[in-house]
Amino acid sequence: MPASKSPVIETRGLRKVFRDFWRRPTVEAVKGLDLTINDGEVFGLLGPNGSGKSTTIKMLLGLLRPTAGTIRVLGSAPDDTHAKACIGYLPEVSHLHTFLTPRETLMYYASLFGLSRAQAVQRTRELLAMVDLEHAADRAVGGFSKGMARRVGLAQALVNAPRLLILDEPTSGLDPIGSREVKDLVCALAKGGVTVLMTSHLLADVEDVCDRVAILDRGVLCAEGKIADLLRQPDAVRFEVEGLDEPDAAAVRAELEARTGRRVRQEYPAMSLERYFLQVVARDGQQRTFAMAPFLGATLSAPETDPTPTSNSLPMT
Amino acid sequence: MPSKLLHRFFAASARRIGGVTVLAVRAALRTRTVAALLVLLAACVLVLPGVVKGDGTPEGELHILLTYTLSFAFGILCLATLWAACALFAAEIDSARIQLSAVKPVRAVEFWVGKWLALLVMNAVALLVVYAGVYAQVHWRMCRDGWEVIERPVSRHVARPLLPTPREEAREIFADLQARDQLPSGYSERTILRVLEQKAHEKYSEIPPGGRQAWRFQLRRPLHIGEVIAARMRFETEYNTRTQVSGICRLSCVETGRAVEVPLDDFTLKEIEFVVDARAFGQIPTEGVRAFELSFMHTSDPKRAAGLLLRFRKDVALLTPGGSFWMNMLRAAAVHWSVLALLAAFGLALSVCFSLPVAAFVATMLLVLTMVGNSVVQVVSEEDAQKWRNRAGVLVSRVVHSATRRALQAKPLAALTNGERIDTDMLRTSLGWNALLFPLLLAAASCAVLRRRELADTE
Repeated sequence: MPASKSPVIETRGLRKVFRDFWRRPTVEAVKGLDLTINDGEVFGLLGPNGSGKSTTIKMLLGLLRPTAGTIRVLGSAPDDTHAKACIGYLPEVSHLHTFLTPRETLMYYASLFGLSRAQAVQRTRELLAMVDLEHAADRAVGGFSKGMARRVGLAQALVNAPRLLILDEPTSGLDPIGSREVKDLVCALAKGGVTVLMTSHLLADVEDVCDRVAILDRGVLCAEGKIADLLRQPDAVRFEVEGLDEPDAAAVRAELEARTGRRVRQEYPAMSLERYFLQVVARDGQQRTFAMAPFLGATLSAPETDPTPTSNSLPMT
Repeated sequence: MPSKLLHRFFAASARRIGGVTVLAVRAALRTRTVAALLVLLAACVLVLPGVVKGDGTPEGELHILLTYTLSFAFGILCLATLWAACALFAAEIDSARIQLSAVKPVRAVEFWVGKWLALLVMNAVALLVVYAGVYAQVHWRMCRDGWEVIERPVSRHVARPLLPTPREEAREIFADLQARDQLPSGYSERTILRVLEQKAHEKYSEIPPGGRQAWRFQLRRPLHIGEVIAARMRFETEYNTRTQVSGICRLSCVETGRAVEVPLDDFTLKEIEFVVDARAFGQIPTEGVRAFELSFMHTSDPKRAAGLLLRFRKDVALLTPGGSFWMNMLRAAAVHWSVLALLAAFGLALSVCFSLPVAAFVATMLLVLTMVGNSVVQVVSEEDAQKWRNRAGVLVSRVVHSATRRALQAKPLAALTNGERIDTDMLRTSLGWNALLFPLLLAAASCAVLRRRELADTE
């Protein structure tokens, strides 16, 4: 849980109307959005296609201008360069310069942050190691697979060691291992005090890493809150017992039904497909997570608990 | 402390600008367009002088090398610069690649300057290569054909006769016409003065057979002992009268009182030039001499010969040593570079406002309009300008002319071909307006647009 609760992102009555060439309104993408994201939070912005997620993010980054409403990012207007110096952004499509190599790409973005050459070289080396692209550091990005390009995109988003990281569909195009690594990275960054705003179509990804979520639909904020609060089923209780054989399980079930007078459902929880996949193609997934630690700072350490919670483990009440 | 902060601010800003510049240069070097451009320039420098037939004289060869080759290469670079500049922002915005850069702490002006500098660097390299290629060709031909000293390319200071400026002359004529109540009706004072000034600038004066004309000169740089001075006159004569012309040129040094007379009998060329050693003017002081008088007496037979026509302001000149030819070529390259800097700034300004096809189209149209407009202003008469069907065209041409007059007033190739030193004033004016003031204005306008423009779309 974050120690401080000061808002990093704050929008009030945010509206965005797109217009055609003749300035006639074509679509209202965001309708009066009030959103507050606090320091150190991992916040998920969810919604179907065309719900206004990317438009909201682009307004937060100053790439689009709001039709109405106010935006404060890190206490400043979105186009303030001081605020921009503390933001990392990974767009839905990486939009990299295809003629550059990953090393040149990272050096370029480091220069935009005003880093000295020595700093830029050092940071580039660390980031290339972090995203496991040292072997392809001097090949043109144009020849990369989508997943590799995504890794370069992710590295550029971290080139300034940001206070606020905005990730638009961060796991899009990544294989399950890459996807897991990104989620681990987000968790590690959040532990280091970085505020993360992410959007994703993959709800499981959001559920894995986010503290709070907001659901947008047709530009309207439909729900917002902690995942635990939103997903809680107050009238149900679930127990998980390891190593219970069939007769004992039947006895426990009969006892519970007798005591409560309600029907008790018995399940054998399965691991998630993602976890199963990671076990099958284990390789060095964990090692890579640890490799991120030096870059993220000395305060970071390896996750204490299993970072792959199963999707059927609901909180007990 | 504040100076330390300021230093850190500028260092960071310089790194951002440098980053944008390096990216743009890399983008250029890693595309086939630049390779194609280099092939075109190489063909221009190496092939064109061999294809275009000269008159066989060293002067003719020099003319082809300096005028055709350099103009062609400069034309290619102009178009390439303009279109490349149009693409720099527009293509990045269209492909959404600018989004990743725009969310970084880069100011609009840093973006703009970075891209502009990239074009300047590329143009500087291209111009140096082209000029070096042409210089090498000149040198090679000079050695191969054994050009005489007088035929070799030179760089000389030019002194024009001391005459009232065209504006002063126009005012004088205007006052005279006004006093005699002979001002043309239906035209404003401004229009009349403009026409009179244009006419004064291009005015031909006649030296009839038996007539004499003298001009005073004040050299900017004094003539020293051991140096030579050349007098040059260009006549506008009918072809069939040239063979019957004869005259006497007299060049005298006002400070020493000594003169040199050169008889010119049956000269057949439009242009005459003769060189006089400074020692011919007697004892020249160590600080040199500056004041000269040149006179021409037309001694042809009045019954057979026609009068000689000269534009005093343009056709009569004294020429003194003005550095080496290759330094003059460098100055010409600098003037061309300044024009390319302006085109780059102009293209970038359009690139910020429009998509690539629109920006390229508008840029090309405005380029054509500038060329046409400047020609129209030179040839259109005031009577034609008054006709209703010409009014809009003439107005546009005049606006274009006045907007581009300063940018295009330097004529480096004409100076190079004529062996005239591109003086510091011309260089300063060209660099000041084309590579500094105009780009500054365009940068301010571009940055204002860039700050207001949305760099993402609905996607």
